[in-house]
Amino acid sequence: MRRRIVFILLLGLFIGLTIWITGIGRIGVYSAFTSADLLRESGNHFQMVGIAALVAIAVGVPLGILLTRPRFIKLSPFVIGGVGMGQCIPSMALIAIMAPLMGFGFWPAIVALFIYGLLPILRNSYVGIRNIDPAIIEAASGMGMSRGQIARKVELPLARPVIMAGIRTSTVINVGTAALAVLVGGTGLGKIILTGVFSRQALITLQGAAPTAAMAIVLDFILESIENWMTPRGLKVQKQRGEG
Amino acid sequence: MIKLEEVAKVYPDGTEAVKGISFEIQNGEFCVLLGPSGCGKTTTMKMINRLIPITSGKILVDGTDNTKLDVNDLRRGIGYAIQEIGLFPHMTVSENITTVPRLLRWAKGKCRQRAIELLELVGLTPADNFLDKYPAELSGGQRQRVGVARSLGADPPVLLMDEPFGAIDPITRERLQDEFLRIQGEIKKTIAFVTHDINEAIKMGDRIVLIRAGKLVQYDTPAELLSRPKDDFVRDFVGADRALKSLRLMRVKEVMRASPPTVSLEEGLSSVRKQMESVGLKWLMAVDDERFMGWVSWEDLGKGEKVRDIVIPPATTATPNTPLNQALSLMLNSAIGNLGVVDDEERLLGVLTFDCIRNVIVEFQSEGEER
Repeated sequence: MRRRIVFILLLGLFIGLTIWITGIGRIGVYSAFTSADLLRESGNHFQMVGIAALVAIAVGVPLGILLTRPRFIKLSPFVIGGVGMGQCIPSMALIAIMAPLMGFGFWPAIVALFIYGLLPILRNSYVGIRNIDPAIIEAASGMGMSRGQIARKVELPLARPVIMAGIRTSTVINVGTAALAVLVGGTGLGKIILTGVFSRQALITLQGAAPTAAMAIVLDFILESIENWMTPRGLKVQKQRGEG
Repeated sequence: MIKLEEVAKVYPDGTEAVKGISFEIQNGEFCVLLGPSGCGKTTTMKMINRLIPITSGKILVDGTDNTKLDVNDLRRGIGYAIQEIGLFPHMTVSENITTVPRLLRWAKGKCRQRAIELLELVGLTPADNFLDKYPAELSGGQRQRVGVARSLGADPPVLLMDEPFGAIDPITRERLQDEFLRIQGEIKKTIAFVTHDINEAIKMGDRIVLIRAGKLVQYDTPAELLSRPKDDFVRDFVGADRALKSLRLMRVKEVMRASPPTVSLEEGLSSVRKQMESVGLKWLMAVDDERFMGWVSWEDLGKGEKVRDIVIPPATTATPNTPLNQALSLMLNSAIGNLGVVDDEERLLGVLTFDCIRNVIVEFQSEGEER
């Protein structure tokens, strides 16, 4: 309940700010972006984050699960460590590196966002499965479940909340990172922010930053609800008991 | 029937966990694999359902070499319960219990029926209260019962149990052990049960396989293991209080004094005094129409007219099937020091005195020394 109140207050603040600045119209010698501009750039922003997230999920979840299999488990420190290095590079630098490698444009921005968003998904998929009590797996195989049955009926349902949490973290972080994508030729709300920076108009910067923040908290809220919905009931009971 | 022939396990790093063990578990027999930590008892058990692959030797389950069967088919035919229980937290109690039946594609109604049956068997009643609960909503003891019920899911003839009562508090453990013995009396499974607890082994097992450092040291009934330990290791392992432990194996009816000296409630105290003098005892047992009413003691004879006036009601009684160790602790807790033995309808069957128990222990010790 308290979470919900904070969510509504923050969302109201950021949307209110956006509407207010857009309403001013003229800021010094500059004119503010119109609501049509804002809607278009929000759409572009969301598109970049969405595409990058879908690719990161499509790669990260199966890869993370695969790394828990006995055949590949030896590779897991290298893969997860390697992807972790990617996340150690400041997001600004990672995006800047994309330009010399892939040139400017939409796709280099997507690739940068994908790399940046991959780690939380990959790591949570791996950890979600690895952290299952080994006794549960032993009981399952001792009763005659095949490897596939254990994966489908036991491991995946138990790891699902953790995997979803990774997807949520990754997506929300990328809403912020995507604002930098404009540096390598991406689009989105970053354009508005940068315009404000170059024109030294704080209000214009805020006109791009406030809807970016609003998008992040809305996505966070939606993904949290999905995470909650995908958590098996037995685990919710367990969590309540554990905390209460 | 489970038969192990020269079973050995060598790990790739050269560790010899099991060094050629052979024994047989007959149908319906409760066999305990006993030994110190790391002796290879769990490894031995896990080779039966192939959770650990065998290095050499042979394991026959009901006459079939267990490596000749599909591994999942083999396991679905063998019940499996472990110390950590390993209940599936995202499944209800009923789903947990019917794991194997569902793998075997039993019809839904039959699964539910089976879940109810098993919950009743393990004493979680009324079953309706438990079917749709999640493991997190149960106490530790209840979870352990569900674990046992799950291992019996598809009514397998063979059960493997790896310290299934190891992680529970002593009182609950004792109760679960008693209940499981009662269940085993009904279902008569062929059981391989791993424990490092000698008391549990003596209490539960028809036979005990004592293992040390991957080798079978002694395979015997609990009584034989206690009275005739094969070597110093066994003697040390079963402990210096072997004689006391052996009390657990005997029941009151085997050592009690039948037809004890009795008097009726209406008897006058002067004739009671004579009776005591003639049998040479300082006490008699008061009965009313065969029912045990209490004790009459020499010190109280001057305090009334009739037995009824001075009878001391029994604080506690034993039944013919009470294990001697329990009877002994009842005696230690009662002021009289003797224990009346009664049947279900309180009819007096006999008396247990310290002398009875001393005789048993003396006999036990001389028996052990004969060898």
